Amino acid sequence: MPERDKRPIRVGFVGNPNCGKTTLFNAFTGANLKVANWPGVTVERVEGEANYKGRPIKVIDLPGIYSLTSYTIEEIVTRKCIEENQVDVIINVVDASCLERNLYLTMQLLELRKPVILALNMMDIVEERGMEIDLHRLPEMLGEIPVVPVSARRRTGLDVLLHAVVHHYEEGPKGIVVRYDEEIEKKISQIEEILRMKYGEMENMRWHAIKLLEHDGEVEKDHPVDVSHIAEQSYEKRIINEKYDYIEEIVEECLFNKQEKAAATDRIDAYLTHPVWGIPIFLGIMALVFFLTFTVGDFLKGYFEVGLEYFSAGALTLLTNLNVSSWIISLVVDGIIAGVGGILTFLPNIFILFLALAFLEDSGYMARVAYVMNETMSMVGLSGKAFLPMILGFGCTVPAVMASRALPSDRDRRRTILVTPFMSCSARLPIYVLFAEIFFPEHALLIAYSLYLVGLLVAILVALIVHKTSKDTEGDTLLIELPEYKTPNARTVAIYVWDKVKDYLSKAGTVIFIASIVLWFVLNAGPAGFVGDVSDSFAAMIGRILVPVLRPAGLGSWQIGVALISGLSAKEVVVSSFAVLYGISNINSEAGMGALAGALSQMGFGAVNAYALMIFCLLYSPCMAAVATIHRETGSWKWTLRMVIFQLLVAWAGAVLVYQVGSRIF
Amino acid sequence: MKLQEGKIGETYRVKSVRTEDKLTRRLEALGVNEDTLVTIMNKKGSGTVIIKVRGTRLALGQKISDGIEIGGAENA
Repeated sequence: MPERDKRPIRVGFVGNPNCGKTTLFNAFTGANLKVANWPGVTVERVEGEANYKGRPIKVIDLPGIYSLTSYTIEEIVTRKCIEENQVDVIINVVDASCLERNLYLTMQLLELRKPVILALNMMDIVEERGMEIDLHRLPEMLGEIPVVPVSARRRTGLDVLLHAVVHHYEEGPKGIVVRYDEEIEKKISQIEEILRMKYGEMENMRWHAIKLLEHDGEVEKDHPVDVSHIAEQSYEKRIINEKYDYIEEIVEECLFNKQEKAAATDRIDAYLTHPVWGIPIFLGIMALVFFLTFTVGDFLKGYFEVGLEYFSAGALTLLTNLNVSSWIISLVVDGIIAGVGGILTFLPNIFILFLALAFLEDSGYMARVAYVMNETMSMVGLSGKAFLPMILGFGCTVPAVMASRALPSDRDRRRTILVTPFMSCSARLPIYVLFAEIFFPEHALLIAYSLYLVGLLVAILVALIVHKTSKDTEGDTLLIELPEYKTPNARTVAIYVWDKVKDYLSKAGTVIFIASIVLWFVLNAGPAGFVGDVSDSFAAMIGRILVPVLRPAGLGSWQIGVALISGLSAKEVVVSSFAVLYGISNINSEAGMGALAGALSQMGFGAVNAYALMIFCLLYSPCMAAVATIHRETGSWKWTLRMVIFQLLVAWAGAVLVYQVGSRIF
Repeated sequence: MKLQEGKIGETYRVKSVRTEDKLTRRLEALGVNEDTLVTIMNKKGSGTVIIKVRGTRLALGQKISDGIEIGGAENA
């Protein structure tokens, strides 16, 4: 190869949000990424390096956009980056399964007169839906630009794409693709003439002229020319419509079998989005998901727990035989294995839940949920899709928070995450069972049930308050695309589930690991070093500090404080902590309960205190697995921390209310 | 008339789109515009509608469907 220009080719990745652009980008660069903000704005800028046969290529991931207008920061950033020659070649990533939507951006990119390469992503979905794309005719209709089918997930087509980049880098821009009607074309040439007189020849003259016809603010600012006599009004709408008309032509010529699939979807939708039957059908499906998650899941969980016990016992024997000092044994067995292992036992639930969700998502039903539940949920300012995470919250907060990822906006996600922990998760049940049976033997079931109801009411109330007090009065602005139904694909489902499980596992391995150690340390160490008796530990010290705070709620003993702190590792630990702190061996047996009741009543802890305690356990901040998940999903420690404090306050206020009112009545 | 007043199964031509700027832009990019043909697939009393436009189905909340003005039914 002759010694040529070794300057890296700069390639910009442009595409709609959710077209798989970032996945594709990551497939190119591996982990070799540089993340920064665009100068002056807080939109993430990600750059990486790749190379093709020794030719260095610098890839830039541009923000996901729908159009090249200048109404959002993302659009302006992308436009500036292309206009100011910061990229040599554009890779336009399109989701082939919604070609019409994605080609709109393509039409605009082509007008920028830069080499554009179309990366057709998600071809597998097109095939699954039984459709076909004419890969011969499509490039013809797009002005002979290279069209490369790729799969970001399977990492196929990447080399072909890079080859196209290197190959087309040298070539100039292609011809005009979209020709508008005569009147508009005439105006375009008139404006081009005016621009030429003022600024000389420009590469993307036509684009500037079109943008001036659309009364585009940015172009008017950068290239101020008086075209008011030509563009006496904004021609934007007509230009958009003509672009879309052309896209319709493309789709008609290049996409096959779409009609039949659409007809089948319409038939199914007549039932699933029916004004009356839509909701019962949805509730039925949800009940099934819930049932599978917590019956089949719990069944498997039982085996996990047995396995964990063996493992824990084995580790204990091994470490004892190795003559390891007792505090290390305690740290490993009681701290790490119990903490991380306890989290791992939820894995079957998580797995089954996400398997079910993946089915619903991949079949296309999930998008309909937002429509079906829209009214019900928008009464409290939540998106229709928020129903799912909230229901899942009754099972476990961790998958519930993870399920909120399906929500369309950050605002919706955070609101949902804020209220989800109030839904009483299954780990809180042992607490209710224990205390309801001790203090309300006649009405234990009713008491437990009342707590679920209180949780739900608090969730609705909080959502309502946030909704009513927030400044943005967004109203019912649901806007979502409903894809064609298809049979879920095993591979897609597997990838989806594995992604979630991996997330969960990596969290158990990091955050939970560290938190387990910290919690163990607090419970087992004190000012005097490693302590055998909890009452000398740091936890007891903190518990004693908490006494005056918890007294108004009728929970004024250091043991309760410690139990509540240890409940942060997992809510059901509150029960075992009570057992340890009061030295009761088998707390769920009749004798154990009697002993606990005796110990508690000695300090004047009665039924009202017990209910206050249950209310506190219901409402206070969720376990560290949930907190870690919430941090992961919101990406903000500040927000997570504020949420935890808020929930602690709500729990405290609730418990105080119960105790103060209750103790005056009873 | 408003989009939500249309009949299920009928096709209409959009006369105007007047919602918040951000939403109008988004609808524009989705190809819902003056002169676009939309078919009403399903709707609810609250004003939430499902339309088919240029081959795709979109679910629109009441606030959006309120802002979309349509003409009489067309026989497409």
